[in-house]
Amino acid sequence: MSLFTPRRIGQMSLGGSLITYALLLAWAAFVIFPIYWLVITSFKSISDVNAGPVYLPFIDFQPSLHAWKDLLIEDWDDTRRAYVNSIIIALCSTALSVLVGSMAAYALVRVTYAPRFSTILLFVLSLGGALAASLAYGVDWRLAGAVAVAIFVLAVRGLGNRFAATLGNGDILFWMISQRILAPVVVVVPIYMMFQSVGLLDTRTAIIVTYAVINLPIVVWLMFDFFNSIPRDLEESAQLDGATMFTVFREVVLPLSKPGLAATTLLVMILAWNEYLLALFLSTADAQTMPILVAAMNAGERGILWWTMSAVIVVMILPVLVLAIVLQRFISKGILVGAVKG
Amino acid sequence: MDAKRIEIRGMDKHYGAFHAVKDLNLTVEPGEFLVLLGPSGCGKSTALRMIAGLEEITGGELILGGRDVTHVLPKYRDIAMVFQSYALYPHKTVAENIGFPLKIAGASVADQKAAVLDAASQVHLEQLLDRYPRELSGGQRQRVALARAIIRRPAVFLMDEPLSNLDAKLRGAMRAELKRMQKDLGVTTIYVTHDQIEAMTLAHRVAIMRDGVLQQLGTPKEVYRDPANIFVAGFMGSPPMNFVTGRSTRQSIRIGDHDVPLAGLSVRDGREISVGFRPEDAALCDPAEATLTAEVFIAEMTGDETLVTLVGPHDEHLIVRADPDLQIDDGERVGIRVDPDRRYYFDAETGARLRPDGTG
Repeated sequence: MSLFTPRRIGQMSLGGSLITYALLLAWAAFVIFPIYWLVITSFKSISDVNAGPVYLPFIDFQPSLHAWKDLLIEDWDDTRRAYVNSIIIALCSTALSVLVGSMAAYALVRVTYAPRFSTILLFVLSLGGALAASLAYGVDWRLAGAVAVAIFVLAVRGLGNRFAATLGNGDILFWMISQRILAPVVVVVPIYMMFQSVGLLDTRTAIIVTYAVINLPIVVWLMFDFFNSIPRDLEESAQLDGATMFTVFREVVLPLSKPGLAATTLLVMILAWNEYLLALFLSTADAQTMPILVAAMNAGERGILWWTMSAVIVVMILPVLVLAIVLQRFISKGILVGAVKG
Repeated sequence: MDAKRIEIRGMDKHYGAFHAVKDLNLTVEPGEFLVLLGPSGCGKSTALRMIAGLEEITGGELILGGRDVTHVLPKYRDIAMVFQSYALYPHKTVAENIGFPLKIAGASVADQKAAVLDAASQVHLEQLLDRYPRELSGGQRQRVALARAIIRRPAVFLMDEPLSNLDAKLRGAMRAELKRMQKDLGVTTIYVTHDQIEAMTLAHRVAIMRDGVLQQLGTPKEVYRDPANIFVAGFMGSPPMNFVTGRSTRQSIRIGDHDVPLAGLSVRDGREISVGFRPEDAALCDPAEATLTAEVFIAEMTGDETLVTLVGPHDEHLIVRADPDLQIDDGERVGIRVDPDRRYYFDAETGARLRPDGTG
């Protein structure tokens, strides 16, 4: 017997339901207040912001459209460019990483891999040898590459079977996740130089590719758990019923993975939407994203432009809100109820 | 669809160093209901999954209707399987679940609908076709799984403990329906279970496995009345067979204060021999004329009989079926008389059955 038993609001006394609603409203107000503050600040005049806190439009202060005018008319080109960049980059990088990552996760759940440790070691050694030969000794990289491939193939065929130690799916999964343990700041300079050398700095392509790769481990990690929770019996049953592996994926796995895919997509897209550090390095003007624009508001000669910054942030959180509302109906629990046992 | 013969020749399964199924040889006749019986971990489910094609066969051959399917993908084997978990697709309705094999096969919508209705009526599900699996009871889910298996008219049915998730009463009813359905359809069936009652009631023949090795293959009556070894003898029957062990001296076995004669067996002196007898082949009697004596542990009246549990000479528990009107006190010392024709002798070390014509 617990001290409190949960009850529906309809079963409560009048006083009880009033208190419940009061508490819920208080919490909602607490959560929503920052957003409310952003919205009203974007409508405040400069003097109202500087003079001290005012809370209620038309009562405490007269709303003004000056910040919105700056944003949408005077700086329209900058705003539009950053907005379009952010949308394209978030959509493309998310689509790319969710597509590739979920396929990788499904493969890791359902296919048993056993790469030989010696093969991996040989591959790394051959690659290192080729790099050393072409960089340090000036051997033509095509020649070095060809020799490395030849040595690798011969060595694997000749020696590979002598060393039986293999890695498993768990090792591959951990390796993927480990790519995310390192903070991205560690690799930001190499990434910058890499895109510089291929001439892709300040392009959306560079940022899309980088985000997709950075978010890939998260997708694999989340979707691995999700695919793993789908009972294997379901897929085996479909196989016996005559389905090909692709049909099994389309008819059984995909419909059951909707909640996981929706949640993963939402998370990855928000990560891409908010990313600042890499965008700062990889874009200078043409590929600038919204977070860069927001940050720029506090770096001007006129001091921090709270009003314009608020307006930019309001614009920035709108798509995420819409996305969350669209996807949340997929993120429901209990889709697997009734699959097995009961 | 004609029923097909299943021939399993020297089938092996290795998981790395673990040898799960060892040299299994088994022929299932067309239309036969064969039950693979054994304790959990004995390799029976692995054997079934190899026949289905869900596990790779690491050694030996599998011939299905004269065709070697050892390395054929599951979908080309013309096999339907009912899983212990039922494996219903939770996002599909009952009708979509049942019709799934036909949808995959590319049947027309009209054909699918007719076949679904037909299969559903065989398992009494016509009223529930629009429901989802989560809205069904355990028994109803079981029926959906059965309907999905029969809709395709497969050459072979495989069933992996299909009744074990049902409550006892429902299990009994489903067992009878399953037996009737298999008889009507005449499909070759392999059924895996650890429940020997299911095996006895359903099977034409029972194959008993232990540690990946086939112990005995025979009709339920054969494996019950003529067990090949002490494992089969102890596994079949509820309550199980009783065993008392003693050392052989001069053509008898010394058990407690009694000498049990070794009828017709020639056994060296000094060997450990287990004597087995079933609860219904023994009776309580006066200690003076008994085969052995024991102390009453507890008596349980089940309605049509009383099961008397006794503690034997070496503290082993022995069960004897007795009259329901029997009055007996716990701790009382009684004799047990065992029908001389219904005694089974086993080598206590190897578990092998000792027969009068065999060598000891």
